[in-house]
Amino acid sequence: MKNESTFIDVPAESSSAMKGKAPLIGVAKDHTTTGSGGYNRGLSIFDFLLRLAAIVAASVAAGTMFTSDETLPFFTQFLQFEAGYDDLPTFQFFVIAMSLVAGYIVLSLPISVVTIVRPLAAAPRLLLLVLDTAIMGLTMAAASSAAAISYVAHNGNQNTNWLPICQQFGDFCQKTSGAVVSSFVAVVFFMILVVLSGVALKRH
Amino acid sequence: MAKESTTIDVGEPSTVTKSTSHEKKKGFVAAAAGGGYKRGLAIFDFLLRLAAIGITIGASSVMFTAEETLPFFTQFLQFQAGYDDFPTFQFFVIAIAIVASYLVLSLPFSIVTIVRPLAVVPRLILLISDTVVLTLTTSAAAAAASIVYLAHNGNANTNWLPICQQFGDFCQTASTAVVAASISVVFFVLLIVISAIGLKTH
Repeated sequence: MKNESTFIDVPAESSSAMKGKAPLIGVAKDHTTTGSGGYNRGLSIFDFLLRLAAIVAASVAAGTMFTSDETLPFFTQFLQFEAGYDDLPTFQFFVIAMSLVAGYIVLSLPISVVTIVRPLAAAPRLLLLVLDTAIMGLTMAAASSAAAISYVAHNGNQNTNWLPICQQFGDFCQKTSGAVVSSFVAVVFFMILVVLSGVALKRH
Repeated sequence: MAKESTTIDVGEPSTVTKSTSHEKKKGFVAAAAGGGYKRGLAIFDFLLRLAAIGITIGASSVMFTAEETLPFFTQFLQFQAGYDDFPTFQFFVIAIAIVASYLVLSLPFSIVTIVRPLAVVPRLILLISDTVVLTLTTSAAAAAASIVYLAHNGNANTNWLPICQQFGDFCQTASTAVVAASISVVFFVLLIVISAIGLKTH
């Protein structure tokens, strides 16, 4: 359309000038992206460190629950004299779920490293955000269901005649409660990770 | 620059050339396409929120009204069962009610993302608060599910009797409420993913 209405000399100048406009705007964009690149890299490093902490929290939770066996030194007629995590299906689910979560975080460490190396790439961060949300749901489910059972074990339920077994199995209850607390800490870490990924995605 | 060497008539094609050259720049094309794409995401987000409101209100009210009175007396068990007999179910009712009211309060933010598809702040606010509420919903649903499982199956090792064998209707109603809350958890995960995708494409 330029050639239709201008002389031969003008399109060369105007077109090159118009072409010259584009890299100027492109350079301006590059300045903003390098600024946010450094910011995103900081977020990625914090993300990586949080993942390391979450590995510790999840594996401590799974390990503590797994080794929470207790054997009472006496016999009783009504209650078993042994208590372990495999006596309660909810605690079995807890151990398996927290092990899965710890394994997932270990596997997600390479993707987190990728986001450190390439701070402006959106696909790894989006993948991490989606997976972290799903795994956070799993962790929270395991943590809160174990917390509900721990509550019943500590307090019992008069209406359903469920006796509080913690009065006999004190060590078992202490260890399981510690495992539940550790898994809630892991949930908090996951929440921060999801929000971090969202904030880092924003700055593109 | 076109005006420097041509007559006034060329001013019209220069605006046309400016518009075509702008269309050639990928950024504007992406913005125009991204606006429509994000608006679709925002509408889907709004509809999901409406569905989640319905489900969470349903779950909370179903658990709240889950009472059963047996027509006979027993020596050991109460002849009545209600949600307030279980602290976990009390937590469930309160937490899911809080989640439902949060969803109602988040509807204006969702409408803002429909009206302004490229605005980042509403989506980020929705993402952060949806994450917090997701954990609350999952917690309530999972805790109630574990108690429902215990009520259905009991536990031989701890001598906890399965009360569902006496209170069948109560157990059914409570299980329905837990299932509804779990579905709302899935909705929340979808909402978070939608907000993240909406934040991504700039």
